[in-house]
Amino acid sequence: MLLSARCGVAVGISELTMTDAPSTTLADTARWRAFPWKLLPAVARTPLLNMALDEVLVERVGAGRRQPTLRIWGWSARCVVLGRFQSVRNEVDEVAAARRGIEIVRRISGGGAMFIEPEGAITWSLYAPESMTAGMTFAESYRFFDDWVVDALRELGIDAWYAPLNDITSRAGKIGGAAQARRGGAVLHHTTMAYDMNLPLLLEVLRTGKEKLSDKGVTSADKRVAPLRQQTNLPREAIIEYMVEQFRRRFGLEADALHPEEFAEAEERARERFGSRTWTHYLP
Amino acid sequence: MKSRGEFKTPGGKLIAVEFDVVNGELRNVVVTGDFFLYPEEALPVLAGALENTPASLDEASYAASIRSALDSRAELVGSSPEALAGAVVRALRGCGGHQRADDD
Repeated sequence: MLLSARCGVAVGISELTMTDAPSTTLADTARWRAFPWKLLPAVARTPLLNMALDEVLVERVGAGRRQPTLRIWGWSARCVVLGRFQSVRNEVDEVAAARRGIEIVRRISGGGAMFIEPEGAITWSLYAPESMTAGMTFAESYRFFDDWVVDALRELGIDAWYAPLNDITSRAGKIGGAAQARRGGAVLHHTTMAYDMNLPLLLEVLRTGKEKLSDKGVTSADKRVAPLRQQTNLPREAIIEYMVEQFRRRFGLEADALHPEEFAEAEERARERFGSRTWTHYLP
Repeated sequence: MKSRGEFKTPGGKLIAVEFDVVNGELRNVVVTGDFFLYPEEALPVLAGALENTPASLDEASYAASIRSALDSRAELVGSSPEALAGAVVRALRGCGGHQRADDD
């Protein structure tokens, strides 16, 4: 009776694009529902504080000092967020970034560079015990944490699917990507979806974008980005609210707030660790 | 002069390597890219597996030494020891880097 999306694909139709079966199976849902999820709603934070909060909160979930949490990000400024293992000079034109007042920060997870504008991105983090992904490969756990997103986007009328290893994509183009880091028995899985795109500015500061353009004349088809604004005509806040409601309906979700000591610890780390060149430029 | 090579795993991530060749050995090896590595602190293991190795090895030998250094200590996701070895060989052949006018 139970057919997963992966085996419901008709012959001759490209992988995963046409199936209507939900990506999230009942067994997956049971894994989610085994935990009482807390919601930290969007508050505009500096890029550095966002980096630090991810580390503090995943550590606290690992230590059993915080329950599994969904945090919606708010951004107070434009920035470039580098992946943990990326070289600054290979990814960013630092002169252009400085000229435009765009801060360069580095997150704790691997993956690729993002150019962020506060109203252009929809970002959230999940902090969960690693036991939630027991028996899964790393690749399977990426899909597991984003299957509900794909389902929610489909219900919104977007022809979305998961593109391994870590992308959410659609017929019109790529929508978003995810990255994970693991700390002391907990996993951080954060996902960013493009809501709106400032392509000229992105190309000015990110080198990867420049190379794609110069290589191909246009951005390559498989990496073409299709922001949600153009796909839905919905305001950014409405999409965020919709995603939170989808999560609540599927897995349960209880309102929470950042504890003062979590905030204080993140502020200190933003200043001492994430704001230092030792961290941002450790791979120059 | 730094040698640089990149290898993008099909359906996966990019891994890049930079190093000097001194007395026929790889020196000052730096590994970067948009791959994933667990635990994250294991990044020096990748460069360490290549540091001071002869510049005359074949791709399979580089891959073997990267694989044995990672062992059970760390796991590359979206890339592999073979991909990094491929990047090393491209760097040694001098055909591994993007031409970037604003860099040099």
